[in-house]
Amino acid sequence: MPLGTYKEAVSARSTDKKILDVSQDGGIVSALLCYALDEGIIEGAVVAGTPDEDWRPIPTVVTSSDEVIAAAGTKYSMSPTLSVLKEATRQYGLEKLGVVATPCQTQGLRKAQAYPFTRFVVDKIKLIVGIYCMENFPMASLDTFATAKLGFDSLQDASKMDIGKGKFWLTKDGEDSGLAIKETHGYEQAGCNICQDYVAEWADVSTGSVGSPDGWSTVLTRTDDGSNIFKAAVSAGLIETKPMDEVKPGLPLLEKLAKGKKDKNTAERERRAKMGVKIPTIY
Amino acid sequence: MLVSNFLIEVTYLKDRVVISPTTRQEGHAELVMEVDDEGIVTKGMYFSITPVRGLEKMVLNKAPETAPVLCQRICGVCPIPHTLASAEAMDMALGIEIPKAGKLLRKAVAAAHGINSAAIHHFLVAPDVVPEDKFATAVDSVSAVRKVVQYVVDMCAGEGIHPSDIRVGGMARNITPATKERLIERMTAFRPQLEEHVEFIKNCVAEAGLPADLGVVNQPLLATDATYGTNEFDMDIFSEVLPEAWYDDPEIGKRGCSVIPLLNGENVETGPRARMEKFAGFKDKGVVAQHVARANEMLKNYDACMEALDAIDPSAPANVSYDKRGTGELGFGVIEGPRGTDVHMAKVVEGKTQFYSAIVPTTWNIPTMGPATEGFHHEFGPHVIRAYDPCLSCATHVMVVDDEDKSILKNEMVRI
Repeated sequence: MPLGTYKEAVSARSTDKKILDVSQDGGIVSALLCYALDEGIIEGAVVAGTPDEDWRPIPTVVTSSDEVIAAAGTKYSMSPTLSVLKEATRQYGLEKLGVVATPCQTQGLRKAQAYPFTRFVVDKIKLIVGIYCMENFPMASLDTFATAKLGFDSLQDASKMDIGKGKFWLTKDGEDSGLAIKETHGYEQAGCNICQDYVAEWADVSTGSVGSPDGWSTVLTRTDDGSNIFKAAVSAGLIETKPMDEVKPGLPLLEKLAKGKKDKNTAERERRAKMGVKIPTIY
Repeated sequence: MLVSNFLIEVTYLKDRVVISPTTRQEGHAELVMEVDDEGIVTKGMYFSITPVRGLEKMVLNKAPETAPVLCQRICGVCPIPHTLASAEAMDMALGIEIPKAGKLLRKAVAAAHGINSAAIHHFLVAPDVVPEDKFATAVDSVSAVRKVVQYVVDMCAGEGIHPSDIRVGGMARNITPATKERLIERMTAFRPQLEEHVEFIKNCVAEAGLPADLGVVNQPLLATDATYGTNEFDMDIFSEVLPEAWYDDPEIGKRGCSVIPLLNGENVETGPRARMEKFAGFKDKGVVAQHVARANEMLKNYDACMEALDAIDPSAPANVSYDKRGTGELGFGVIEGPRGTDVHMAKVVEGKTQFYSAIVPTTWNIPTMGPATEGFHHEFGPHVIRAYDPCLSCATHVMVVDDEDKSILKNEMVRI
């Protein structure tokens, strides 16, 4: 099962123009968080914001829809999101918390929930929205792509960043510049090359662009909580959906990429293991 | 008799009753009572047999921020006052003026912890004063009280035990407006419950049949403030003597593990009763008075906590940046902890801690507690000791391990 355990797979899009204006794809993460906040399912969420508009993701605690929307959009560098969970459950006093997490962060959260190492922190988490992730770049790598490879003066000149159609895209003055994904190899975090999880298999709900048309997202509902919240947001008219088999390229592409990550990184794990390098356990 | 894992020896020598270790307190101490033919105590000697507290040495030559992190581990029962005293001592040693919001957060935390620690003590003395049919009620009430006040400590200081967010220079972060509102809301709803708890404990103590004058001493009082504490400490009137010089019995002098701190050459009484007498006009003395004062102080701490929470401006900074090189002067952190005045002293030179010392509340009370048992039957001895809520685990547990095979050669902590 390259996509992990899931209840339902659909193609979906936020119906809120405010969200779609700023979202990476279908605005599902923002729509779910806004709905959960407005309904009191969560009191706040930990998300990756870019308060300085410099593409550097900063883990941010949000407690209102406006703050969710201000933090919308994918960041391609690592946000140390879990580092602010404590603050969210302490000085912010949040007792029902949402988290937007990459697959690796989701694994960490689930481990923390399974083991009694954290007191009054992870038990407050009511919703984990997982985002698809093939790999993640340190800020210095993103700078290199912008300046050395795409000829920008600075990464800050880019108004949008995206990965799709086999390329890493930066938008400047309305014009898109693409860098072939194979050009980015070697610039990712070393840990990403042994990760087996593309689709946040342990989240309550996972989402990302792959499998759906432009402007839409592919959503996998995984847990009862995740499924209920997603369905309620759909019923409330905040999210519109299409069956996966009616959209192109559809689930086969997502499965292909997820399986591709597992296969490629399994080979890398074996290569490293042969060198005597310690490899983390797969769950 | 076997309590927990410790074998408690009650030895009846010709004219001596020895309880080792004394029970339902933190850490290990011994009570030696010389008694007359009727069993009345003629001389009481109480001393710590918890060997070493190495923390003051561990912080030396390290960054000043290390001290509050390590020294809060002095105790798991009242880590908050130790963290606060350590941070305040470092603040002074580095010449830091912490922001108002940071100070208010510290005050709220200290007061909430004061309530928590008194509640823990009620649990420890419940077998002495609470009738069997009300025991479950007492335990439930203690738990309910602790839950609310520990919540305040959690939110403001990061952790209810060993707080992570009390820092040199203030507090790690301020609370948000929503958190302030929630804390005040919960504390407001909690007031009747706390009043009920205080009344319940006072009634139990009143009906426990303890002699009215039990444990009365007339030692000078040590209390610097009604609730939080001031960082003023008069080194000119302070002295310390070794146990050998204090206890008449040379054997006890040799085994006693804590130095004897004195003010103007005299041993003192510190704790809730001392504070209530000095700052709230409370006049009674002795065991019953100590229990009553401790219970009443819960309400005083409640008011102090609410006052601090109410005054916090959530948008204000809770800490300041500072120069960590140090003033080279001795800094004092004097906190009124649940068991009395907790004094930490620190000196920082060129960014490293050069001197550190902590005189913890029970250390002040140790020389006073033994004589407080005098004049009553030795069976009341443990009641007198527990009324001070002694906490001797302010120590590092030490074992001697064989270098080669790591076998334990000496483990005096668990085989007293």
